[in-house]
Amino acid sequence: MIGRFVLRRLGIAVLQLLGVALAVFFLIRLLPADPVARLVGLNASEEAYAQAERTLGLDRPVVDQLLSFLGLSSDRGADGLADGSLGLSWVTGDPVFLEIGRFLPVTLELVTLALLISFLIAIPLGMASATRPGGIADRIAFVWGLFAGAQPDYWWGLLFVFLFFFILGIAPPPLGRIDPLLIEPSVITGFLTVDSLLQGRLDTFVSALHHLMLPILTQVFVVSGAITKMVRQNMIRALQSDYILYARCCGLSRRAVGRYALRAALTPAVTLVGIFYGVLLSAAVTVELVFSLGGIGEYAIRSILSFDYPAIQGVVLIVALVSLLIYLLLDIIHAYLDPRVKY
Amino acid sequence: MSARAPHVAAAGAEEILSVRGLTVAFAGSEGAEHVAVKDFSLTIGAGEFVGVMGEPGCGKSTAAIAMMGLVRPPGRIVSGEVHYLGRDLLAMSDAELDAIRGKDIGLIVQSPRTSLHPMLTVGRQIENVYRAHNRVSRRAAHARAIEMLQLVGINDPERRVKSYPHELSTGMTQRVLIAMAMSSGPKLLIADEPTSGLDVTIQAQFLDQMWEAANRTGSAVLVVTQDLGIVANYCDRVVIMEHGEIVEASAVRDFFAAPAHDYSRRILSLQRESAASVAGAPETERAAAEPLILVEGLSKDFDIRGSKDKVHAADDVSFLIHRGEAIGLVGESGSGKTTVGRCIVRLEEPTRGTVRYRDEMVSDLTQREFTPFRNDMQIVFQDPTDSMNPRWSVEQVLTEPLDLHTTLSAAEKRKRVTTLMRMVGIDPAVREVKPRQLGAGRQQRIAIARALATEPAFIVLDEPTSALSPETRAEIIELLIRLSRELDIAYLFISHDLTTIERVCDRVVVMYLGQVVETGTRAEVFRAPLHPYSRVLLASHLFPDIADRRVDRPERVTLKGEIPSPVSLPEGCYLYGRCPNQVERCRAMPQALEEVSAGRSVRCWRAVAGELPG
Amino acid sequence: MTDLTGAPGAALPAVDRRGLLARLRSDRFFLVGVVIVFLSLFLAAFGPLISPYDPLRSTGEISTPPPPIETWPRLLYETVSGQREAPPHWFGTDQSGLDVFSRVISAPRADMTIALGGALISLVIGTFLGLLAGFYRNWATEFMMRISDVLQSFPVFITAMILVALSGRQTGNLVLALALVYTPIFVRLTRAEVMAQSSRGYVQAALAVGNSRWTIAIKHVLPNSLVPSLVQMSVTVGFAIILTAGLSFVGAGVRPPTPEWGSMISIGAQQLILGEWWPSVFPGVAISLTVLGYAFVGHTIEAEFRET
Repeated sequence: MIGRFVLRRLGIAVLQLLGVALAVFFLIRLLPADPVARLVGLNASEEAYAQAERTLGLDRPVVDQLLSFLGLSSDRGADGLADGSLGLSWVTGDPVFLEIGRFLPVTLELVTLALLISFLIAIPLGMASATRPGGIADRIAFVWGLFAGAQPDYWWGLLFVFLFFFILGIAPPPLGRIDPLLIEPSVITGFLTVDSLLQGRLDTFVSALHHLMLPILTQVFVVSGAITKMVRQNMIRALQSDYILYARCCGLSRRAVGRYALRAALTPAVTLVGIFYGVLLSAAVTVELVFSLGGIGEYAIRSILSFDYPAIQGVVLIVALVSLLIYLLLDIIHAYLDPRVKY
Repeated sequence: MSARAPHVAAAGAEEILSVRGLTVAFAGSEGAEHVAVKDFSLTIGAGEFVGVMGEPGCGKSTAAIAMMGLVRPPGRIVSGEVHYLGRDLLAMSDAELDAIRGKDIGLIVQSPRTSLHPMLTVGRQIENVYRAHNRVSRRAAHARAIEMLQLVGINDPERRVKSYPHELSTGMTQRVLIAMAMSSGPKLLIADEPTSGLDVTIQAQFLDQMWEAANRTGSAVLVVTQDLGIVANYCDRVVIMEHGEIVEASAVRDFFAAPAHDYSRRILSLQRESAASVAGAPETERAAAEPLILVEGLSKDFDIRGSKDKVHAADDVSFLIHRGEAIGLVGESGSGKTTVGRCIVRLEEPTRGTVRYRDEMVSDLTQREFTPFRNDMQIVFQDPTDSMNPRWSVEQVLTEPLDLHTTLSAAEKRKRVTTLMRMVGIDPAVREVKPRQLGAGRQQRIAIARALATEPAFIVLDEPTSALSPETRAEIIELLIRLSRELDIAYLFISHDLTTIERVCDRVVVMYLGQVVETGTRAEVFRAPLHPYSRVLLASHLFPDIADRRVDRPERVTLKGEIPSPVSLPEGCYLYGRCPNQVERCRAMPQALEEVSAGRSVRCWRAVAGELPG
Repeated sequence: MTDLTGAPGAALPAVDRRGLLARLRSDRFFLVGVVIVFLSLFLAAFGPLISPYDPLRSTGEISTPPPPIETWPRLLYETVSGQREAPPHWFGTDQSGLDVFSRVISAPRADMTIALGGALISLVIGTFLGLLAGFYRNWATEFMMRISDVLQSFPVFITAMILVALSGRQTGNLVLALALVYTPIFVRLTRAEVMAQSSRGYVQAALAVGNSRWTIAIKHVLPNSLVPSLVQMSVTVGFAIILTAGLSFVGAGVRPPTPEWGSMISIGAQQLILGEWWPSVFPGVAISLTVLGYAFVGHTIEAEFRET
């Protein structure tokens, strides 16, 4: 049963990705941008311009371009989606897939850690505020939820740099992932913290964490308020429910009743984790820029500002893929935890 | 049983629970406290069946839970003592209280579905409660859960223990709650409106069970209800509450013979009136009147998403309504009675069959062509709050049909609205108010006024009184009777409540599982029902008649098992397997509705052949 | 005693209108929010007109820090009484010598126009499409929902960046880009609410009274389905402000030197590490407070309307 559910959802995800691929392909070609001029410069001769246009394949009909993007074209070697390739970057000439493979782990490491820490803060805070309405935790959670629901993360990042680096001097300068004097561990997973541990490099591990400190703080700051609010609401709803009152009437112990409430409060929250993951992924673009982390967000900015079509298509597709996979994973967990979910 | 001396509280019997001066308050806005229960005192002895009765919001449920030392937030118990076998529950520690709740005092509540944890199997929940009070293994607790489910009459308990609450019907979850409450053999069972939302046949089974358990084991039952029928048929003593206070406490027979308090007298007199009117009501004068609506062979199937199966909600339904006549359509939930009503006024499209209104075959019209007929054929829904646009004022609600069907000027419409409001007994001054700021009773009056706006000849009343308290229900019934006499309107009164049907209707159509099983005049059906289903229905209905208590009858007829799924219907008689009068031949023989005398038909070959016992 | 007597006045419940006003007046968060919202709209209209310095012209004083806070009352008095030749640089000047205060109060013209414009367009279009999709459920609206799904699985910030950067960084394009990324949210919200409302009894009653399906959709269902969208609107305006400023922060938004909070933060960012905090801190405070104001108002709207 669950197998069929996963298969169906995977099928939908594939269709949706195809939709994203088509949409982004046509979107960037519909917009009035001239990538050739951007590449060769505005003063280039007409021959140079035509030459560049041919190299990029932009002289061909759109249908041809689409077919080779999808990997269904026969004339120009196998370099399309169907073969798992995202094409070559127009700026660097490297395969987009490899470039993304280098940039993406940075972002995933940041976002995952930030989300984990947010939940570690938000769950106890939300629960405390729900069990003692009007108490100190409740007030903090309320103001926090209102305040940090939406804030300009890039500005808070800068403010943290000013405070913790310039004034207090306890954070490293916002220039990269580790101390420039250290040698980066060789890439296994792409996550610096994991790779350095795997290779027993404690110094790089500590330095990586040190450099992640402020980016994570920024992300946690921006997202934990909303998570706290959600945990608080779910917990209040559970605590006020008939089944909790009834469980108490049946003489279940405090601990047993608490477990009932927690189960009911956290299960619906599972699907919301995906939304917060998406929010953080989106926010990572600016946060990475502030701290020069070199993640997928910075790659996106670079590609978009230089009109690098294959790279743009690749970034959009990969980010959409990551979100879809996370949603799928969470839906499966949710269906497993909540018997009412039909699959 | 009837030989008990009930009004001497717990005399002779061991005193189980004694409540003294219990007061509960809820924190309101700006520090003000609202006292929900005030100085509540009560004693219950072993083997007693005590009723607590009152209007919604009178504090009876709050009092029932507070006896276990619990209050919904933001409420608190202000003062009082609750002695259980001599120990004060309210002075105990949490751990001591936990040991008594669910073990010595069991609780059944009115919303079984929401009272069970939605993500745990019912078996697991029974086990958790059982293990909280008994030092047994998980395996033994599991066996106990199965045993308890079997005891409360659930078929196939080995399978049902693994079900989640949402997979069970309301009646079944209610039984799960009983199983849970009874699992540790409580000395006192508190039942808070345990049967609201249940069908009458199941309600009767259920109360029989509780009553028998109390008699067998000597445990006591405290039932909170607003149903006079339950009080009359089961209780030894009754306590009446109004605005948080006990206004009367007497033995049931004394209560019905000579009620002491105003409120008691009021609800009892409403009952009496209805009983009296049934006795001398004119029944046949309208028989000669002209036919108004003819329903023939009406069937409605609903598609099930993602399946080729269909739900057969109504199956070959036929009946005739004369001008100004009130037809009662009775049956339990799932009988298709609401679907029939909705098909007539075209809120559903019938799958087969026809509806004729006067000379027009209205079931052949398109929705657009049918629109002009809507000023003649109206409907009133069960939930008045839900049936009116929440953003509209009373005036807007009542003006809408006038805008759609008349060419009156604005001033004339205002006048008409005033007339309509007076007609249903609402002060025209509230025209600017939004309906939901009024009580449920007044909301239903406004809904009725809306149906009356275009002077219809026919109204479908779809359970119009089911969402109301007994007192407002009685008032709405009076209003409907008055209107039908004054305005000569025909009703199709859909209800599961036989008391109401008996009060309002001239003729009765009984439905079971989408089929009409019996038709006849009110007197015929109520005094001499032919079909076995009608008989059980009437026997299960709790008429507030102290002279004929269900518990005093030598034999208490019930239906076995549960209503079959309307997706896969039985091959022969639909009642086969549940019927007390079935024989082997019924299994495979489909039943036809046969006329036994003018206007009287029945769908049972044994009844037609006169084989059923008197 | 009963309704039938219809005693005038006695049983008449108070109309809740005054109660609502009183409730709002005592809601401090809401009051702060309303002040901020009005201030943001006022500055969007008049900010550039009342700014003490030209937000686009250098004053010649480079990287002047703001005057210490304790001197502000004196400076204010001197300015108002006309004792000073030039107004003080309340928020200091940046490294090009532009007056930060003048730019901060001139920026809402760009930021608020884009954010409000984008959010409003998506609200209107999204609500209309959501009403269609919720009320008429056929292959066409199903197809529309699939498109909406695809759009929603686009990363918001990156998509907005693509739209703006590739179509030229004009204000109009920014508004359209924001409208496009936010529309699916409103479609989805409205559709869900329309579907929920359609199963309500009053819709059945409206049909029974004799309305056509289309009049039911417009007259009954639509007004009752707007609350979630309106609440979402106040949240979306906040997000849109952050997004507008964020786009300029990464260099894909309003072109400098147009006064705009995000680009001001970005320009000041390099100096921040060196201790020159004022060019980026003040515009950031402005964003933060504005977003907060809209969140406060949204919070109250939600609390007021959700219960009915």
